[in-house]
Amino acid sequence: MTIKIAQLSCGTEYSSVQYEIEKAARSVGAKIVYPDVSAADIDDAVRRFGFNPRSPQLKLMIARAAQLADGKYDADAVFITTCFRCAEAALVRNELRRFIQENTRLPVVTYSFTERLKASQLLTRMEALVTIVTRKELLARERQTGITVGIDSGSSTTKAVVMENNKIIGKDWTPSGDVVASATLVLNNALEMAGIEMKQVEAIGTTGYGRFTLGDHFNAKLVQEELTVNSKGAVWLADKQRGEATIIDIGGMDNKAITVRDGVPDNFTMGGICAGASGRFLEMTSKRLKIEVTQLGALADQGNWRNAKMNSYCSVFGIQDLVTTLGEGKRFEDVAAAACHSVAEQVYEQQLQEIDVRRPIIQVGGTSLISGLVTAVGEVLGERPIVPPDSQYIGAVGGALLSSGLL
Amino acid sequence: MSQERETRLFMISPRSMLTPDQLVRMVHAFGAAAIVKETCYGCLVEGPRELVLDILSKVRETYPNEVFSKVRAYPCSDPRRCRAQHGTRPGYAQLEEEWELLSRIQYGLENIERGAKYEAPAERKRIPVNDFKRICEVQ
Amino acid sequence: MKIFIDPPNSLVLFDLVERFGHEPLSAMAAIQERVDNLEVDMPPMNVTLDDVVRGLKYAGVEVPSGIRGRLAVWGPLIEEADAAIIMDDCPYSFGCVGCERSNLMVKYLIKRRGIPTFHVSYPETDEQAVDFVAQTREFLEGLE
Repeated sequence: MTIKIAQLSCGTEYSSVQYEIEKAARSVGAKIVYPDVSAADIDDAVRRFGFNPRSPQLKLMIARAAQLADGKYDADAVFITTCFRCAEAALVRNELRRFIQENTRLPVVTYSFTERLKASQLLTRMEALVTIVTRKELLARERQTGITVGIDSGSSTTKAVVMENNKIIGKDWTPSGDVVASATLVLNNALEMAGIEMKQVEAIGTTGYGRFTLGDHFNAKLVQEELTVNSKGAVWLADKQRGEATIIDIGGMDNKAITVRDGVPDNFTMGGICAGASGRFLEMTSKRLKIEVTQLGALADQGNWRNAKMNSYCSVFGIQDLVTTLGEGKRFEDVAAAACHSVAEQVYEQQLQEIDVRRPIIQVGGTSLISGLVTAVGEVLGERPIVPPDSQYIGAVGGALLSSGLL
Repeated sequence: MSQERETRLFMISPRSMLTPDQLVRMVHAFGAAAIVKETCYGCLVEGPRELVLDILSKVRETYPNEVFSKVRAYPCSDPRRCRAQHGTRPGYAQLEEEWELLSRIQYGLENIERGAKYEAPAERKRIPVNDFKRICEVQ
Repeated sequence: MKIFIDPPNSLVLFDLVERFGHEPLSAMAAIQERVDNLEVDMPPMNVTLDDVVRGLKYAGVEVPSGIRGRLAVWGPLIEEADAAIIMDDCPYSFGCVGCERSNLMVKYLIKRRGIPTFHVSYPETDEQAVDFVAQTREFLEGLE
């Protein structure tokens, strides 16, 4: 079955990205389609929508969305995309996303592009859209059943979780080395903790960069990209399976911000534009302060970032700022707080601008254990994020939870 | 402009009695080596530029004011443009709107042929305040 | 003479310019060159990455890519034009003229070029259409 993805867009054909969009869709077994509208319907649709943009192409987008909302055009998913830095289009893009979600059950993702479109990000979005369409029932699963295992083979750490009847009964993590060896190690430790034999395991789900290798090796029932799996794990851990939420994962090398609705992702940004906006920056700061990164959070919580202002976010020049600040005799606590604040502010400026942050905010991943960073994210967003227990295990938990749906 | 290939839309004004089918048969009857494709608004004609322009002028001999034309960037049936492949591209709505306007343009052309000229409208001035006052008082 | 038409994809203006003996410079013809001349099996829609980068000549990098891509197509046409016709108060403009900011910029570029420019109002009635066609013909026939 070819999945039909309805494209609502402005600017793609004049940014040299339309071909890339169609190519990405084709590569995941989908096809881009445009809901037909009659010119005569456009004004009515805009009036009904209530936002009247100056650009006619945006009006056309609204009319096409109305066709979908009224069930006059048959599509399986919706892709809303407009030029990056266009304010008018950004407003329409986001409000149309909401309109589609309120009026249809179609999965929707949004994207703002430049001519330097990031093909891999686009592909992940298309892949997630197709997953959401083809595995709708599986993604609706809110309880884990039986005995299942989830393995998350990430770029910096590998994690495994054993679950039984909707409870985590075993878990372990290790820095990633050889994909299979790292996974085998954490899996055995998690099984031992759970008091479970491998033969008792009914299903395995793998995710993360090494998911395909591990899927083959362990004969996994579920092999799936981390976007949908992590979302599922995060809302399960935070007990926020219904309604909207934003999941923030500041990684060692890349960051993800995912918005979800009923546990299913509808938009995300993923980036590693700058090392200054990552866990790596905090590691470097810890090293300079001669403390373990695990101590940085508590230290930051005792400080005030305003006392150690940094003029640069960069991992090179930012660290230089820290050195200068320390030289001026500032307190370590304030410097630690400033480092956390700098990362949070950068994530906010570079990534969260591209999505519509929805409450509650759930912060996950290894860096969510650095409490000072969570404080800083909360300060920047105006609301302290929820950090669920076992927040570093979202991918593994999502894998165990979803694979139990395939029993 | 490319001398190699030219693809043109021939669009019939909604005021005309000519049908796309009649137009296509007429173009076929010229016996030219061009691709002719009937559409809802008229037809697409594709061939070497000179040939396409020749066909246009022959059509205009019979229907001077009711067949309009413009070039199309993409060749006939190009999957990137073809509506059947994925639904309409954004420019389709523009064509639809312009098609309606052709009715008035046809009227304009016909009247000009009969000698109509543009006359600048009389300059509109505000009435003097005393005149306005008088009108108000009468009311 | 070469006449830039605005909207650059207008069927009505393209037709009238040609009908009254001049060469319309249109978005369609500019894109046709790209469609026909690219040596790839399936070229990108309408413009290439190089076009969008060339659009920096008309607008800075802080301007959305869709605007720069459009200006890269229209800008050279405006530079090449001997005169221009602008249809004001167009109630419609879709496709390549779907971006209002780009449309404003085109009018500005024409103005800056300083070529003979004729503004004509979109005809709402048959009578206005007579004026529209008559004025357009008068302008085009008066160009030498």
